[in-house]
Amino acid sequence: MKHILIIEDEILIQQSLKKLFERRGIKVDVSASGKIAIDMILAHNYDRIICDLMLQDISGFDVIEESKKRYTPEEIGLKFVIMTAYNSPQVLSRATSYQCKLLNKPFDNLDEALRIMTE
Amino acid sequence: MENRFHPPHQTPPKLLAIHIDPQIMDDIPEGTIDWSIFQLVPANEAQFTILKKDSRLWAQFPDGDFCDYPFYFKNIARLLESFKSSSLVNIFPAETFQSFIKSTQAIEKKIFSNVSMNPGENVKDLWDEIIKKVNIISTESHSLKDLVEKILEIPFLQNFETSLIILHLKGQTKAELMGTMWRSEHVHRLIEVKDFNDLFNSIRKSKIKSFSTDAFSKVNIPFNGSFLAKEVISKKYSLIAIVSRHDFLNYSSDEIELFETCISLLQPHFERLIDQEFSDKKISELRVCLKEFPLPLRIRDGHSGSSFINDLYNNELQDLDIFFNKKIKGPFSLDLYDSDELRHYAFDLFHFQRISLLGELLNTLRHELSNPLFGLKLSSQIFTTLDVTTDDKELMIEIEKNVNRCQAIIENFSNLYQIQPDNKPVLLKKMIDESMVLAKSELREVTKKISYDPGTENIELAVPLIFVVQILFNLIVNASQAMRTQSERAELELHVSFIDSNVIIDVSDNGSGIPEDKLINLFTPFYTTKTQGTGLGLVLSRNLALKMGGNLEYLVTSNKKGACFRVSLPVV
Repeated sequence: MKHILIIEDEILIQQSLKKLFERRGIKVDVSASGKIAIDMILAHNYDRIICDLMLQDISGFDVIEESKKRYTPEEIGLKFVIMTAYNSPQVLSRATSYQCKLLNKPFDNLDEALRIMTE
Repeated sequence: MENRFHPPHQTPPKLLAIHIDPQIMDDIPEGTIDWSIFQLVPANEAQFTILKKDSRLWAQFPDGDFCDYPFYFKNIARLLESFKSSSLVNIFPAETFQSFIKSTQAIEKKIFSNVSMNPGENVKDLWDEIIKKVNIISTESHSLKDLVEKILEIPFLQNFETSLIILHLKGQTKAELMGTMWRSEHVHRLIEVKDFNDLFNSIRKSKIKSFSTDAFSKVNIPFNGSFLAKEVISKKYSLIAIVSRHDFLNYSSDEIELFETCISLLQPHFERLIDQEFSDKKISELRVCLKEFPLPLRIRDGHSGSSFINDLYNNELQDLDIFFNKKIKGPFSLDLYDSDELRHYAFDLFHFQRISLLGELLNTLRHELSNPLFGLKLSSQIFTTLDVTTDDKELMIEIEKNVNRCQAIIENFSNLYQIQPDNKPVLLKKMIDESMVLAKSELREVTKKISYDPGTENIELAVPLIFVVQILFNLIVNASQAMRTQSERAELELHVSFIDSNVIIDVSDNGSGIPEDKLINLFTPFYTTKTQGTGLGLVLSRNLALKMGGNLEYLVTSNKKGACFRVSLPVV
């Protein structure tokens, strides 16, 4: 795990996660906007993309859809980790359809959450 | 010729939409097309089109199939003739005509190719007989069940043993199977909608319409063997008609076509009977609703002077008590009477509205707060791992603790105000603790004593948590307010015990108590001694207790000062 993108519009969460990863020697890019994040995804090859679902401009699912321009569905399942505070059945089933990991906010266990995000 | 293009406008609502190429109008003999049945429309709206091809006239259906023009009109006339008496002609869907025409055509072709005989005659006899019978059984049947059983009287079905339908009314959770087996045994059972849908879709997709019960073991069709099935769909229901000879032989294509057409012919009758049964059921349900309406109610017939009254109505009620009056259809008018029940229900309504609004607000609040709180928590966690002084570290830990507390509080509140449909058993102790937390600010500087008799600490109640908490919260707040101005140390006591099959929660204080002359109005709505009270707290609380099969009462204690309220709740 060398290069991670964090898409999160809650700046405290975004910056905290950034610090935590950087301390583990990982290069981190961040974006609070989904639209800007899409450009970043298309321009760089991230090892992992951690994406909040409820962004101000577009939804995390829109970001994933746009990423299909660059990645196959299998790659999307491996690259994306979805973070959400609203885990309704609809959200769960859609996240499952992308086969990517899902993290509920707030994290019950920070170390466990970091392990899931970086493994 | 001109008037053919301008058929009369005062036509019945459902006509067969026909399109005729204007250029061939003259080829059609006068009187062939009966304008009380057909309606001339543009090509794109037509249910069929008359056109000329290879110098012959044809009827063309929307699916592209052609049919010989004289044949079409001959048969349609035959069908209409047979049904003229039943006045149902106008409600036949065009598909029924189409399917009728197609199956007569198919059978006619078959007979014509096998046997050297005049085409038409044989088929005509068979069809006339079938149509006659369909007409008879549909007029004779007064219920859906009747009609299903009589299907076996249709000529070509005479060696069949079983006729069933499975009916699913839209929106219902179960489908209904009904009919007759062995021409004698009545069957009626309910079928899961999912299984019904599976069966319905398999039948809809099937081209041969001949099936075996082996393939549908899930639906549990009450016989074994092969069967013919036809699906019917309408706005209000989906239906599967099934007939079987109870053997394992396949059905001939004639039988399949005849059956399909018969069911198409019967479709308007199914519709009529389903409608009728549905409205009968609706009327009886409505009657029950009115009878059990929670307020005294009377519906008067202005013409005859007779009236319908419900269970709560009694003769002592006067016009003065009417608080709602409405003219309903025709000579009828509805009166609702003011009563104790009304007052109680008004409180319930008020209470539920308040709770559900609060629940919604709290839910939004929880979602909105959860993200920033989580951010605070994460960043304070990171700070504690940085190279900072012990003091700073402790401060950060304190921030994190506070965030956790905020999260827990908002979580608790929003859980509390959700009205859950099923009441999972909850520890009474938990309900009491919850109420104490809620009343925390009211209980500052009050000594709290909570005691449990043996066995009561672990008791679980299958009642809405919110109800009990609301009652206790009310009582606790009342008590603490009553003790606010006294010089003596305020003491609140909760004691839990058993009496018979009830669990008892006594809530007492050491305030000035309730004067004897005020006791009589204690549970009267809008009666309050507080300057800012609504006078609803105790009424609501008692209503909630009654709703759970319990009670709330004031306990007169001679040996203690202060007030004591007793909540009793049944232990199931």
